Amino acid sequence: MSHDPWNPKLTRRTVLKGAAMAAAWQLAPRGLSRAFAAEPVKIGFDDTLTGTYAANGKNTLIGCQLAVDQINASGGILGQPAQLLVEDSTSGDAGTAVQKARKLIDRDRVSFLIGNVNSALSLAIGQVSNEKGILHVVPGGHTDAVTGANCHWNVFRVCNTTQMEAAAVSAELIKAGKRWYYITPDYAYGHTLQDGLEKEAQKLGGIKAGADLAPLGTADYSSYLIKAQAANPDVIVFLTQGADMVNALKQAVQFGLEKRFHLAGAQQELEALEGLPPEARVGTWVFEWYWKQPNVPHLDEFVGLIRKKTGKVPTARTWQGFASVWSCALAARSAKSLDGVKMAKAMEGMKLPPEVGLMPDPPFYRPGDHQLMPTLYVGRAQAQGSEPEDLFKVTRFLKGTDIAAPVEQTGCRLSWPHT
Amino acid sequence: MTQLVLFNAFNGLVVGAFYALMALGLSLILNLSGVINFAHGGFLAIAAYLAYSLIPRVGFWGGLVIAPLLTAVLGLVVERLLIRRLYGRDPLYSLLLTFGLAYVFEDATRFLWGAQTLPYPVPPSLTTPVSATFFFLTGYRVFMVLLVAVVVTALFFVLARTRLGIRIRAGTQDLETVSVLGINVRVLRNLNFGLGVYLAGLAGVLAAGMLGLEPTIGSSLIMPSFVAIIVGGLGSLPGTLLGGLLIGVASGVTTVFFPSASEAVIYVMMAAVLLVRPHGLLGTAGRTA
Repeated sequence: MSHDPWNPKLTRRTVLKGAAMAAAWQLAPRGLSRAFAAEPVKIGFDDTLTGTYAANGKNTLIGCQLAVDQINASGGILGQPAQLLVEDSTSGDAGTAVQKARKLIDRDRVSFLIGNVNSALSLAIGQVSNEKGILHVVPGGHTDAVTGANCHWNVFRVCNTTQMEAAAVSAELIKAGKRWYYITPDYAYGHTLQDGLEKEAQKLGGIKAGADLAPLGTADYSSYLIKAQAANPDVIVFLTQGADMVNALKQAVQFGLEKRFHLAGAQQELEALEGLPPEARVGTWVFEWYWKQPNVPHLDEFVGLIRKKTGKVPTARTWQGFASVWSCALAARSAKSLDGVKMAKAMEGMKLPPEVGLMPDPPFYRPGDHQLMPTLYVGRAQAQGSEPEDLFKVTRFLKGTDIAAPVEQTGCRLSWPHT
Repeated sequence: MTQLVLFNAFNGLVVGAFYALMALGLSLILNLSGVINFAHGGFLAIAAYLAYSLIPRVGFWGGLVIAPLLTAVLGLVVERLLIRRLYGRDPLYSLLLTFGLAYVFEDATRFLWGAQTLPYPVPPSLTTPVSATFFFLTGYRVFMVLLVAVVVTALFFVLARTRLGIRIRAGTQDLETVSVLGINVRVLRNLNFGLGVYLAGLAGVLAAGMLGLEPTIGSSLIMPSFVAIIVGGLGSLPGTLLGGLLIGVASGVTTVFFPSASEAVIYVMMAAVLLVRPHGLLGTAGRTA
């Protein structure tokens, strides 16, 4: 039959092609790049601006932008203005993240690389930055390996390791009961976090009642929750993040599980709590940074600046972006050079000044594994605090140095290039 | 263990009913117009966000009624201005167009409402489980299944009994003859597209009450809908319904035994169906829509 306008030939094959395209679409890069004309000191941002972690990536970016503004207002980097080049890594496609990192390094000639929220992508682009010898700050990818087994001389991390989060929250969780059931996202971050919690639980006499790996981006958690309640644990531990955290907790509370079990987890974020209905803001968690802390100098100023910029309070991600970019500038200023090795040496042991650290004790990059030693904030989610955006009640401030496993146990062996 | 499997199978039916609702809209458009509507998830997200913005003014129920209708109107406009121009060409053209639209819709929601997940309020009367044993059956989910049942019944009634429905079915069989008989096929396709988008909108508003409302809500739900259509059989609406329910149950039951494969299993099912019964469970062999 020749071309027939009334009956477009739609065959099963075409539909299959369509389905394949749909699959490709989910993995496809979502471009968002900004290029500028001048030749200042360039900072490449390769982070999650679309997909599951879009909100986290965007908040990281807001912090980065504020830091660049402040750096330029205070003399730039070695007398040159700092400039942020922004690329979307997607939330889970390592191929895209790596390609963007290579583009930033090879074509745009950035002196620094910032990224990523996703642990697996952090590791992937860390490989690239290491190969190219570019100073790389990981603002928010938590899996232990980033400053552990896969550590690099040029990679520094602002956010906590999963081991630190597990150690910080375990002492609180054990109070709610010994039998823990894990709902874990099926990728690097989730695996190491669950591993860390199991080890900590064991030390405290806790028992694993069960565990399920849920694919990243799972929308419906009901079948996991059915399984979790059947195991009759004391605590259901949610290790999901981003939109997955919201979906899982929202459904758990709709099922009334918060009345029968203690719902908790390790890392919780303001982004997720804001996305939850008030009744689902429950449980024991760790925050990596919080906008309300007593007696921390410069904190109100930072909160005010971000509020002015966005209308909202900063989240831990905002602070991580802010601290990451400032770390780059401080390293260059201290090394008086943009050479990767010299800056990395300068960053080892570097304390963040109070106006950047914004924590009770000034955080510093630990020599040996390049992990920032910050304060950890253990507490409870709350439906409503003193202000509408005050959704977390900090009960304990823990020192990173007390919580983090010693360098020897991280598996990190830094190998510096021969100079 | 038996109880766990039964619970998950039952729960899978609930989830499957939701997939079916979305897939039916896709299927309607596919059958009559030969358009693989990639933007279906985008329409779903837009309806959910519209309802979110409407709720403070018209309440939850008002949002549930108005948002899908507004989205259907958007669907009518999109069909009239864009999709109509591509009828009669290779289906890949409309595929690419709707593919692009899906991006536009997703980024538009991100631009207008922000990237962050928004809390979607559900009336307290619906959020409590109906029974302590079947704790996973919340009022909301029961309501959703009933609504899907009502909508599907109404849809099949419209298709079987009303003039519009008979024309849509006739058009699905042989659009040229329907046109020769004096029926305005353009209007027919336009209304049919609107109806399909309405179903997407309804699915979107329902999804927002269960899941977090964020810009990718549509893209995470569209793949199961495609799979439902292929498993059920291209061209068969009852097949689409069956496909939706089956993948819901398969995904739920797999969680009991091998949770990390709960997503992969629906694609394995699709592959198996394509190998053993390429036209789908209830589809007609050799059909070209």
